[in-house]
Amino acid sequence: MNSSFESWAYVFGRLVAVGLAGLLLGYMAGSVWAGVCFAYAAALGFHLRQLYLLDYWLRHRSIADPPDSGGLWGDIIAQVGRLHRRKKFHKQRIIRMFRELRRATASMSDGVIALNAGNEILWFNRRASELLGLRRKTDFGIRIDNLIRHPDFLRYLSTRQFGSGLSIHPKVGDPTCLEFQAVPYGAGQMFLLVRDATRQSQLETMRKDFVANASHELRSPLTVIAGYLETLADDPGLDAGLRPPIEEMRRQAERMTGIVADLLELSRLEATDEEVAGEPVDIEALLTQLRKDAASRRDRPSDIRVELASTDALRADPGLVHSAFWNLVDNAIKYTPAGGRIALKWWTDAAGAHLSVSDSGPGIPAEHLPRLTERFYRVDPGRARATGGSGLGLAIVRHVLQRHGGELEIRSAEGRGSVFTCHFPVARVVPGSAVRATA
Amino acid sequence: MEKSDLSHHISRRFNEDLERVRNKVLSMGGFVEQQLSKAVIALVEGDSVMGEAVARDDYQVNNMEVSIDEECSRILATRAPAAGDLRVIVAIIKAITDLERMGDECEKIGNIASRLAAQERPADKYREVKHLGRVVQDMVHDALDAFARMDADAALRVARQDRLVDEEYESIQRQSITFMMEDPRTIRRAIDVMWIVRALERIGDHAKNICEYVIYMVHGKDIRHIRLEDVESALGNRGSAG
Repeated sequence: MNSSFESWAYVFGRLVAVGLAGLLLGYMAGSVWAGVCFAYAAALGFHLRQLYLLDYWLRHRSIADPPDSGGLWGDIIAQVGRLHRRKKFHKQRIIRMFRELRRATASMSDGVIALNAGNEILWFNRRASELLGLRRKTDFGIRIDNLIRHPDFLRYLSTRQFGSGLSIHPKVGDPTCLEFQAVPYGAGQMFLLVRDATRQSQLETMRKDFVANASHELRSPLTVIAGYLETLADDPGLDAGLRPPIEEMRRQAERMTGIVADLLELSRLEATDEEVAGEPVDIEALLTQLRKDAASRRDRPSDIRVELASTDALRADPGLVHSAFWNLVDNAIKYTPAGGRIALKWWTDAAGAHLSVSDSGPGIPAEHLPRLTERFYRVDPGRARATGGSGLGLAIVRHVLQRHGGELEIRSAEGRGSVFTCHFPVARVVPGSAVRATA
Repeated sequence: MEKSDLSHHISRRFNEDLERVRNKVLSMGGFVEQQLSKAVIALVEGDSVMGEAVARDDYQVNNMEVSIDEECSRILATRAPAAGDLRVIVAIIKAITDLERMGDECEKIGNIASRLAAQERPADKYREVKHLGRVVQDMVHDALDAFARMDADAALRVARQDRLVDEEYESIQRQSITFMMEDPRTIRRAIDVMWIVRALERIGDHAKNICEYVIYMVHGKDIRHIRLEDVESALGNRGSAG
C-alpha cells in the first residue's frame, strides 16, 4: 500500500515537474502554452512506449524478456510476473496431483471405469482393461453396454438399482466370474468397479455342493438309526432302566432328521437365484390350514388368531410359501408361553402383499436382529436346544422370500414379543375376484 | 474416422435414433451370445433343462429382430440418410438377419442337446464339440466387438478365423464317420452331433457375415464373395490406417 502510494506520488510529482519544465522552456522560447503542450506530449509518448513494451512482453511472454522499466511501470511488470509465476506453480501442482491420482488408480487391484450419463466410457484403469478386454486407444467414448453385452449386465445398468452389485459369468460354463458395482456420482455419471470374483464363486459353489452332498449322505444312515430306535422304544420287553436313554436318543434322532431335511431344502432353494414364476395361491385356505396345524400342537399357546384383511391371492410357489409361513408359525409357537397369543395377518396395499406373524413371546434383543436369518444362529444356545429347532427356519424363510422378490422384516422388543412380516412386491398380488373366476 | 460421423449430425434426434438402433443391435447380439454359450453347455454337461430354456427363449431374438427392423424402416422413411449413415442402416438390417439366424441355430442346438441329455454320453464327453463351440463363441464375441468399435481391422481378423471353424468342422465330421463305421449303434447319436456341429459352423459363417458388414460400414467396400487376401489389397492403405 505504502509503496504503491509512493510510486503514484512519484508519478504525479514527475507530471508536475514535466509541466513546470515545459512552462519554463515555453517562457524562454516565448510561447508558454506550446511549451507545456510539448512537454506533456513527450510524457504521453513515454508512457505509450512503456505500454507498448508491456503489451509486447505479455504477448510474447515465452520468448521475450520483461521490459526494463523503473517506477510505476516496473512495479506493474513485476506484479504481472509474480501472478504468472504463481499460476504456473499451481498448474504444476495440479498436474502432479492428477498424475499421482492416475498412477494410484492404475495400480488398484480392482478395475475402475468412469462413465458419463450416456454410459459412455470416459476413462478406465489398467485392471479394468485386463478384466474386460477394453482397449486404451479405441474404447474411450464407446458405450460400456456395447462392449459388455451380457443380458444381466444390461438389465443392471438400465434399472439403475445398484444396491447389491452384480456378479456375472461372462462365458457360461467358464469359471471366470466378474463382480460389478456401480457407484453413481454427479449428474448421472458413475464409476463402475469390476472385481475378479472367480475364487469366491468357486468356493461358494463348493460349499453349496458340500452341504447338499453331506446332508444327502447323512439321511440314509439316520433313517436306519431312527427306525431301530423307534422299534426299540416300542418294545414292551425293554429294561425299564434303558427306557429313558432310548427315548432321549429317539427324540434327538428325530431332531437330527429335521435338521438334515431343512439343510436339503435350503440347498435346493440356493441352487438357483431365479425368481419363481408361481401360480395363484389362496392365502385364506393356507392360513386356515396353518392354524389347524398349529392348534394340534401340544405346546401351543392358548390364543391363535387369523386375520384376513384382503381376499387377494399371492402368485407364488405353493410348497415354498407354505414352508416359509409354517416356519414362522412354528417359531412363534416355540417361543410363546402357554398363556400367550399368536396372530397371523394377511393384507395388501399399494406397496404389495404382506403377511405378518406376531407373538407375545419374550422378544429378541436388538443386537441379534441383523444376524437372525443366518444359518444356525442362536439368540440363546441353551434354550434353542431345549425347543429342538434346526436353526435353519429363518434362513429358509429368507430364501423363499428372495426367490419371490420379497423380503423379511423383523421387529421385536424385549418383553413385548416379535413381529415377523413377509413383504411381497405388487406384481405378485392376484386380485381376489380373478382367483374366484378361475376357481 | 467414420465413427465420428455418428456424432456430427445437424439433427440431434437423428443422431439419437441411430445410436439407439445400434445399441439395440448390440444388446440383441449379447443375448444371442448368451443363447449360444448356454446351448453348448446344455450339450456338454447334458443339461436338458438348459437346452429347453434356450429353445424356449428364441422368441425373444425374433422379437428383437422385428423391432429393430421396424425402427430401421422408420429411419429410412423419415430421415432419408445418405452416405455413411445409409451404410450403417443397411449394415444393421443385414446384421440382425444374421443374428436372428444364429438364434435359430442355437434353438436347434438346444433342442438336440436336451434330447441327447437323456442318452448315454460318449467317452470323450463331446470335447471336440466343446472346443469348436468355444472358437465359434469367441468369433461371435469378437465380431460384435468389432461392430461396437467400428473396427475394420479386427473384423478382418475375425473373418479370417472362419477357416479354422471350417477345418474343425471337417475334422469332427471325419471322426463321426469313423465312429459310425465302428459301431453302428452310435449312428443316431452321431447324426445328432453332426447336426449340432453343422449349426455351430453356420453360426461361424453368420459371424463372418457380420464382420463383412463392419468393413462395409467403415470403408464402404463390399467384400462379400472375395478372397480375404484380395480384400486386404483392395482396402489398401486405408485398411491399415483405419
